[in-house]
Amino acid sequence: MDGKNELLEQIRATDFALIELNLFLDTHPSDENALKDFRMLAETREKLYRQFTQKYGPLKAVDGATSDCWLWINDPWPWDQMKWEELKGGMANVGLRQENRVSD
Amino acid sequence: MWVYDKKTEYPINIKKPDPRMAKLILTQYGGPNGELAASLRYLSQRYAMPNKESKAILTDIGTEELAHFEMIGTMISQLVKDVPPKELERMGFGSIYAIHGKGVYPSDSNGVPFTAAYIESMSDPITNLNEDMAAEQKARSTYEFLINMADDPDVIEPLRFLREREVVHYQRFGEALRIVQEAMRRKKMYYKPNNPAGLAVNPNPDIKDIVEKLNMANPVNPNPVSPLNIHNIPGPILPDTKQDNKKKQ
Repeated sequence: MDGKNELLEQIRATDFALIELNLFLDTHPSDENALKDFRMLAETREKLYRQFTQKYGPLKAVDGATSDCWLWINDPWPWDQMKWEELKGGMANVGLRQENRVSD
Repeated sequence: MWVYDKKTEYPINIKKPDPRMAKLILTQYGGPNGELAASLRYLSQRYAMPNKESKAILTDIGTEELAHFEMIGTMISQLVKDVPPKELERMGFGSIYAIHGKGVYPSDSNGVPFTAAYIESMSDPITNLNEDMAAEQKARSTYEFLINMADDPDVIEPLRFLREREVVHYQRFGEALRIVQEAMRRKKMYYKPNNPAGLAVNPNPDIKDIVEKLNMANPVNPNPVSPLNIHNIPGPILPDTKQDNKKKQ
């Protein structure tokens, strides 16, 4: 349930809801219900985000500030097609190298 | 994906409008060596990058260029703020005003609209990184030309900051190029493409000579010739270094 991909999916879904509410609030800044939902989801997101970055490494470069090594550059990048299962081991596998792939 | 921070990367507060300077700076908004071109170039080239260092540097510099795009847009908007049209015209901004009013539109200083023809994005990472290094130098020169024509410190300071960033980016791209070349050389030297077992093959003295000559002919380049250059030469693959041999066994 708390695999990397599942957790990322939860963050993605929460973020999308937040984006929708953000846009709605931009043109309805005094809608209290929307604001309440935004606040609630922002809290959820905060928790999920912390959980993810502690376990699987940074989603933003600054998230890596507490680590001894620079995890930010590690594969996979969003356009890489990798089996998420390979990374289920968490931080131990964050250094997994996928080097020397040459395009074409 | 991206998230927006409600601040400019470097503070911009231009107290004295200057439509003449606004028109000149416009080229760094949507001109050939401008910030929009830079950002789109790096963010598009990322997909061709073969290793994590180069993927990261193109993503991060491409992102910073978007922040510079915002800085330039902020400068232009402040430089024409509250200036009456007649004054804009007198200061040389009339041809831009006639088309866009005071709207900040991605064009060069002559009003020529932005075009993706300013950039390239190829499947060859070496080609891309060389273009990127050239692009940073061209942008640095452009900022120097702009600084030469500016007289207000409120304008000069952000331009100087942006010029400095071009120098740093150039440096980082140079390092990325070296990293990519080394990674590719390692790969190309050990493996025969049609040898699925990836067994080391006998060095071909002819090719070795060619490569050594090429490297000698280009002594300023700390990076030996790209293995891509010899990629299509049939037959055995290049000899590898002692260190590489050890690693292989």
